[in-house]
Amino acid sequence: MADFVQLVVLGLLAGGIYVAVGVGFGLVWGVLNIVNLTHGALVIVGGYITWMLFAGLHLDPFLSLPVDAVALFLLGYTLQRGVINRIIRAPLLFTFLLTFGLNLVIVNTLLLLFGSDFRSVTPAYSGQGLELGTIVIPYVPLTALGVAIMLAVVLGLVLNRTRIGLAINAIASDRDAAQLVGIDLRHLYAMTYGIGAACAGVAGGLIAMIQAITPTAGEPYTLQAFVVVILGGLGRVSATVAGGLLFGLVEAFGQSIPGSGSVFANAIAFGLMVIVLVTRPQGLMGRLR
Amino acid sequence: MRVRTSALFAVTVLMVACGGQATTGESTGSTIVLGAPLGLTGSLTKESTLTQQGYNLWQDWINQRGGVVVNGVKHKVTIKFYDDTSNANQSAVLMQKLITEDHANFLLGPYGSAATATDAAIAEQNQIPMVEANGAAQAIFNQGYKYTFGVLSPANKYLEGVIDMAATLTPKPSTVAMLSADDNFSLEVANAINDYAPTKSMKIVLFKKYKNGATNLTAEVQAAKALNPDILLNSGHLTEAIAINKAAKEQKLNAKIFAYSVGPSTPDFITALSKDANYVYDGSQWTPQVKYAPAFYLSVADYVAAYKTKYPGIGNPDYHVAESTAACLALQRAIENASSLDPKKVRDALAALDVTVFFGRLKFDQRGINTYKPMVVEQIQNGAHHTVYPSDVADAQPMYPTPAWDQR
Repeated sequence: MADFVQLVVLGLLAGGIYVAVGVGFGLVWGVLNIVNLTHGALVIVGGYITWMLFAGLHLDPFLSLPVDAVALFLLGYTLQRGVINRIIRAPLLFTFLLTFGLNLVIVNTLLLLFGSDFRSVTPAYSGQGLELGTIVIPYVPLTALGVAIMLAVVLGLVLNRTRIGLAINAIASDRDAAQLVGIDLRHLYAMTYGIGAACAGVAGGLIAMIQAITPTAGEPYTLQAFVVVILGGLGRVSATVAGGLLFGLVEAFGQSIPGSGSVFANAIAFGLMVIVLVTRPQGLMGRLR
Repeated sequence: MRVRTSALFAVTVLMVACGGQATTGESTGSTIVLGAPLGLTGSLTKESTLTQQGYNLWQDWINQRGGVVVNGVKHKVTIKFYDDTSNANQSAVLMQKLITEDHANFLLGPYGSAATATDAAIAEQNQIPMVEANGAAQAIFNQGYKYTFGVLSPANKYLEGVIDMAATLTPKPSTVAMLSADDNFSLEVANAINDYAPTKSMKIVLFKKYKNGATNLTAEVQAAKALNPDILLNSGHLTEAIAINKAAKEQKLNAKIFAYSVGPSTPDFITALSKDANYVYDGSQWTPQVKYAPAFYLSVADYVAAYKTKYPGIGNPDYHVAESTAACLALQRAIENASSLDPKKVRDALAALDVTVFFGRLKFDQRGINTYKPMVVEQIQNGAHHTVYPSDVADAQPMYPTPAWDQR
């Protein structure tokens, strides 16, 4: 029983990271209709910023998260305004290719700047945890889960309570109608991508505390974000939260299968995604558009 | 006419005088051409560069001495390198080019098990000996090839040294949890432990495979913790070794020994984990601290010094460099023993070789792999690597048992 509870805890903690990675990806996909293959690279840029501030200025990694968010917002805004906006109305394949190319540029720039060495952020409290009987809850992933949920809540509030958020929602519903009522599409697209990138930056900061990063470490996260968003459903932040936590749980239980079962943890998660796509294409909590 | 005769005489005298400068009276023969495709660009750049450094160190040394002596004739050596872009198929193409176009007398191995496997087939087809230093998968040597020789210990030996060491410690550990990535090399390492640990009265309480390259291994570590093993072994790579060590700390898995096949020997492991890297063991082909008595070439200390002189500012040579130099030494001694540059005779001399150099004993089993050299066990102590087993080559005692995470 204790093992079961521990697995649930570990699954939810891992899920926190998937939530953080998923919300930004889901926003960009839902509003701009871009499957953003640059997302993983942006996540790792955030990771490197946290690492630099920690290694150079000894700044607590959680305090560097706002810096990640602002820096990545600016980078994301510029990328969308300067590059992606030019083909935003082209077929999906074009944005696929473009974001894939941008991903390569960012990863290789990081390789040039930082080399392929492993970097890790290990503050003094890293590895410590709360012990409840035999159950261990490590502080860093626990706080990361808290930050991820907070990130989702803030994003939800921005989208539903602010003028910018309402404008973004209007574009997601009908971009031509939105343009007719005077919404500056190019600016709002760039804002949306910037907010998505800011979320990726925060996720990257969290990831740098949990695993060692290299410039290529972001690639699996693009794929995982994709699965998380499909599981939860497009168009709602809360759906991504559910998708992320579910993905973490499925992975943890998949890994705990005795013997070589854990090799199939990913296969199980992707199998679940296929089942959701077949039986409930809008995702577990998503809205049909 | 007289002028001509005088000139001829003078030239003859000069030639004799120059010839006389070689104190042993050996003459100089044709240059021996060796060939090696290496991943000088692409994903294996780092390791391939280290391999090249090892080859070049020996080339400089042997040419300074006038070359390899065959029947009293000194043959200088040229090593021809090609960039295989870290691609195993390209490596095989270049190996063939080295043989047919560059007329390489003998071959040196590329970096990595994959390229070594494709190149071994080319060496075999052309019946030219290849001595390699960077392909440890036994699959290469189970093909019945006669022309490929590997100076390094095979994959199955990587963690056996840790088990041997553990058997000498008090209190003796009795249970082992084995985690392994699912690639061929890692599984060879892990399966060998599955068979070997019980022969030392240690029980494998967990054998768990995970996906190669995984960064989240918390559930695997949790499964190990539930069984409270004395030894936690991992057979994988640097990424997984770091992930497992972090998860072990978070979940307070307190084993007496933490040992990982690949990862802890690199400086990245220590920089990524800082003091949490302490007490971790790994299996290594060679360390700068080993104490072998070489029959020829440099001592370990002189080798380290020679490396630092040629490649200043990058620290000690790691085992990739050392094993690559050792491959050249095996070839050199085989040519000398064969007293010939004939590929078949040199092959036979390689098969019969038995010599100890700074890298350890060089001797091949009938498959062509060096099963006679032990792996050494390293432990990270106070942020530095120390050789702790076998005791005759060690420079420090194992710090055992590993203290619990909250008592460090």
